[in-house]
Amino acid sequence: MEIRSFAEYLRSLDDLSLTALFQTRPELISPVPADIANLALRASSIPSLVRAVDSLNKWQLQLLEAAAVLNEPFTEKELLAVTDKSAKFALPALIERALVYEGGDGFRLPGNLREVLGTEIAGLGPISQKKLNLKELAEAPDASKKVLDAMVWGPPRGSVADVRKPNPGLAWLLERGFISPVSQQSVVLHREVAIALRGKKIHKELEITPPEITGKEVKAKAIQATAISNITTFLRWSEEVLNFWALQPPTALKAGGVGVRDLRDLALHLGLSEECTAFVIEVNYLAGLLTIDPDDRILPTHQFDLWLSYSASRKWEMLVSPWLITSRLSGLVNRDGSKSVTPMGPELDRSSAASIRTLVLDILQENQEITPDLQSLIAHAQWQRPYRRTGGIPAEYIEWVAREAEWLGLTGQGSLSSYGMALLTGADLDQVDSDLPKPVDHILIQSDNTAIAPGPLEHEVAQELDLIADIESRGAATVFRFTENSLRRGLDYGRTGEEILRFLKKSSKTPVPQPLEYMIGDISKKHGKLRVGNTSSFIRCEDNALITQIMKDKKVDALGLRRIAPEVLISSHDASDVINILRAANYLPAAEDSQGILLSGPRIARAQSKARPPRIIGEFEKPDEILLETALRTIRTGEKSTAKQSTLRNLSANELGALPRSTANETLDLLTKHILETPNKSLSIGYADNNGMVSHRIIDPLRISAGSLQARDHATGEVLTFRIPRITGVARL
Amino acid sequence: MSDGPLIVQSDKTLLLDIDHPLSTECRRAIAPFAELERAPEHMHTYRLTNLGLWNARAAGHDAELVIDTLIKYSRYAVPHALLIDVAEQMSRYGRLRLEADPVHGLILVTTDTAVLEEVIRAKKIAPLLGIRIDQETIAVHPSQRGAIKQSLLRLGWPAEDFAGYVDGQAHPIFLKQEGWKIREYQEHAAEGFWHGGSGVVVLPCGAGKTIVGAAAMAHAQATTLILVTNTVAARQWRDELIKRTTLTEDEIGEYSGSKKEIRPVTIATYQVMTKKKNGVYSHLDLFDSHDWGLIIYDEVHLLPAPIFRFTADIQSRRRLGLTATLVREDGMEGEVFSLIGPKRFDVPWKEIEAQGYIAPAECIEVRVNLTEAERLAYATAEPEERYRYCATTRTKRDVVQELVSLHAKEQILVIGQYLDQLDDLGETLGAPVIQGSTPQREREELFQAFRTGEISCLVVSKVANFSIDLPEATIAIQVSGAFGSRQEEAQRLGRVLRPKADGRGARFYSVVSRDTIDQDFAQNRQRFLAEQGYSYTIIDSDDVFQGKI
Repeated sequence: MEIRSFAEYLRSLDDLSLTALFQTRPELISPVPADIANLALRASSIPSLVRAVDSLNKWQLQLLEAAAVLNEPFTEKELLAVTDKSAKFALPALIERALVYEGGDGFRLPGNLREVLGTEIAGLGPISQKKLNLKELAEAPDASKKVLDAMVWGPPRGSVADVRKPNPGLAWLLERGFISPVSQQSVVLHREVAIALRGKKIHKELEITPPEITGKEVKAKAIQATAISNITTFLRWSEEVLNFWALQPPTALKAGGVGVRDLRDLALHLGLSEECTAFVIEVNYLAGLLTIDPDDRILPTHQFDLWLSYSASRKWEMLVSPWLITSRLSGLVNRDGSKSVTPMGPELDRSSAASIRTLVLDILQENQEITPDLQSLIAHAQWQRPYRRTGGIPAEYIEWVAREAEWLGLTGQGSLSSYGMALLTGADLDQVDSDLPKPVDHILIQSDNTAIAPGPLEHEVAQELDLIADIESRGAATVFRFTENSLRRGLDYGRTGEEILRFLKKSSKTPVPQPLEYMIGDISKKHGKLRVGNTSSFIRCEDNALITQIMKDKKVDALGLRRIAPEVLISSHDASDVINILRAANYLPAAEDSQGILLSGPRIARAQSKARPPRIIGEFEKPDEILLETALRTIRTGEKSTAKQSTLRNLSANELGALPRSTANETLDLLTKHILETPNKSLSIGYADNNGMVSHRIIDPLRISAGSLQARDHATGEVLTFRIPRITGVARL
Repeated sequence: MSDGPLIVQSDKTLLLDIDHPLSTECRRAIAPFAELERAPEHMHTYRLTNLGLWNARAAGHDAELVIDTLIKYSRYAVPHALLIDVAEQMSRYGRLRLEADPVHGLILVTTDTAVLEEVIRAKKIAPLLGIRIDQETIAVHPSQRGAIKQSLLRLGWPAEDFAGYVDGQAHPIFLKQEGWKIREYQEHAAEGFWHGGSGVVVLPCGAGKTIVGAAAMAHAQATTLILVTNTVAARQWRDELIKRTTLTEDEIGEYSGSKKEIRPVTIATYQVMTKKKNGVYSHLDLFDSHDWGLIIYDEVHLLPAPIFRFTADIQSRRRLGLTATLVREDGMEGEVFSLIGPKRFDVPWKEIEAQGYIAPAECIEVRVNLTEAERLAYATAEPEERYRYCATTRTKRDVVQELVSLHAKEQILVIGQYLDQLDDLGETLGAPVIQGSTPQREREELFQAFRTGEISCLVVSKVANFSIDLPEATIAIQVSGAFGSRQEEAQRLGRVLRPKADGRGARFYSVVSRDTIDQDFAQNRQRFLAEQGYSYTIIDSDDVFQGKI
């Protein structure tokens, strides 16, 4: 049979299989590659492979790891032998994702995949260079067995005191090559040995089926009731937040986001935990109901006014939909007391957030009859997405999704409600509206100056009441308390005493108690007796006639004077300007300071700030000894390396006569080959910098990854990253 | 969703719609675990507190019952978080138990070793404990029974007390229901107390708390120590007990400043109990002088601090606290509950009024306008003198005089805080003044004259705040008070709440200076009564002079 390359394999696929591939790995067609060769290149590129691997569940990942450990090409039978018979049913999923392909002579993995899976796949070390006699393992002395037992399930590396003076157990193993020294203090167990010791298997335990979701059963009715109450509550919270901030807009931090104190104030106002408050803020921000104005104030948007007029189901949908797809995790706010992570701030994005959310909601959707136990939910979700590189989804991310879904009312008592289901599947949400408690349009005012709305209050009534009463208790019902302060607030917002009373009489089912009526009358009588305003300067004079004369004087019109008392005029101009203008109009004003003391003559002006004489340029400070010594040493070291560099460069220039030149593919080939065959030799390359200037570098290549070459540059002695397309050519020295 | 009478709020308050047909049933169902906080005319507010939930556990109600009740009567879906919290709090109760032990006396036993480990490490608890008997048991010094219960409560791990009560020396006491009958709520209150072992009964002024005490004594059938606020109250208790029970004069002793009798039923005053001699409370021995089977604390909201401390030591005796207003401005309500016992019975004042056992009352706040000169003087007064100044302004005198003349045919009490003001009023109104320095004999003579109608107007200081039984008083005029004290206001109203022979309503006037701190204090003072459903009408003093009341 002929060996096929990955590209040839892809070329051989029918449309159906290619469609399936694109469905499981959508990044392959964004943008659409020009041809199959390009597709193959992309499908075996590291970023794409990482995504594909991340989408595997635990069992699929284990199977892939097993495949990566086998020598290519391998057969299905070989793979089944090191794993489990049921791998037969999991293998197609890997093939569908083109993570394993039929290479003509058997199965192969696309290039780079092993690199994505890591260096020590499944805790296995490298293959031994020489032929091992594995049968000898059975006769290993006890001391050696102890060493093997410790290393067999990985990690394959172990540290020893000194490889040259091994203890007897280790010595026996080193002698037979089962273990090889890596450095003076560490050794590695070879792959064949570990597999043999693992009983011809790769993994200690195969997690073929996901951990079961456990939890207690809940009646559907209870779920619905809780969910609807959660929905109502969340809508109320949103409205509260937006109304609260409309009255007292907080200022966003310099780095963006809501400050700790504002968050705490809001949490106190809502009677919620800071976590929950942060979440409400974030959701409203995502839904576009809340924004940061150019002047850094955080304010509700016009969208909020529209939102208020919608039906409950639409309001809810507007809040939940952006949450489903956002990459922001409000759970990160204030976690571990980190003050810099704030709601609406820049540091909440996590690329995996949306996919984790979808995953958890999917699990909830599949387990609708029960309230999943959080631990089992986490275990299950982590099995579904083992995320090889990061060691699984952080448990708290899963917890947050569950918690937020409950706050939003997608779930009730932790179980997906039919409202949540309808929203996730895009079905009609009318049920939400019909199941919500009917809004009430009246309140009950009682003699202890409280008013109770025995249910969710109609928006207009609630808004008006908010102005004139403080909220004492929230929930399905609301308890308002009238105090002097709250009534004053109403008056501040332009209501009159009669208006307040009329409103209360209209909306209350019970008569307005006399003391409240009295209090409203009393306060509205007193309100505004004191007046406060801003002004820049004043003119006072005990002579009434003179004041009147100034008021009438056309020459001082520019001052825009206003008479606030028989003897006092105010102006929005600065006192010195007022004095000048009055003098020009032939009056004889004198200045007065804040204590009312007459100021005699102009004050001699003095700066308010500290003196800052300009810096002296052009002179150098006398260097001290330390500085001198450091400078000397730096120069000497530089000199040495330059000398070495130029020798090498001369050498290569002599050999090549010019900068090395090779095509990109040749470069890659040369480099790969060089690293594999003669890893410790230096190379000469031409490298274009950011400005296109090509320079000559002498380097020791280390490895190639993600389109870049990592190498030690002789000029600086540092390990640098060279982008392969920028390498103009490679030549050996 | 049911259409129940109860709305469960997320902040753990319960709103009860009393106009709902199921409201009475619901009230009964939630009473064991929820505290009545406010009882105005339409919606009563209850609160779920940890203490209330634990008391419910102590009385044998479990979390499931509480949750079922809430769900059953709730109008809207009950917040899930609240239900979880209820279950969690209730499960904390009873993990620790105090038990009597033949060897070690008193022991603390746990079903959850982790909890025991936690509490024995607490700083406040460690000194109260004896030797560790085993993994689950530790000895407690018997005299620390009250203290350890109190500390455990504060830690959030209330102990269930199985150590029981001593019976005390037996003494036959029976109710003598001749020509009168114990009222249903009084019986419920006494039974509620007896069933619970110890506790506080809250009943409005004039609702017959003495009878509840007598009924409790009849349950106990044992020697009883009764602690009251003052001598007048002591004599009233004695008279009432002789009238309502089989006890005779010889069986009841008075332990006060003037007499030191110790008899099977002894009535002592707080004042004598807390009197110090050479720096020690010599009279506190009274608690130990007899094997009391029952201790009754009248007006328990006034319980002085030394008695508090002592009460902690007598946890094995049954204790009954009686009060109309369990609000303490010093915020020590919690101490009363943990030392005397939980609230066993509480009923809104308006409900008793509806049953006709206390007189309906009308509360009127009369706002007095200060004269220009008075306003100026008030504005310049020293801050600590301000209340006194505005509470005793001359203008008030004219208003009081007018009010008295408007109610000339009724029995009137004028109540105030400042003696100068009272003397001045006494002179103006031509009425006798009773104050702290008035001799006991004279006081009783004056009260008697007032009861018979010989005198129609009395001016009294705060000595008459409590326990003075003046059934025929129908009008009370308050001119000044102890700042913003809520319970004082309620107690003063209580003076006119005894049902009148002709079923007449009572009136309570509070004369307040407008736009001063007097007005602010008045607002605070009225809160308790407003929460009980008493609605104040506010009028201007001009209305009084024009007779528009």
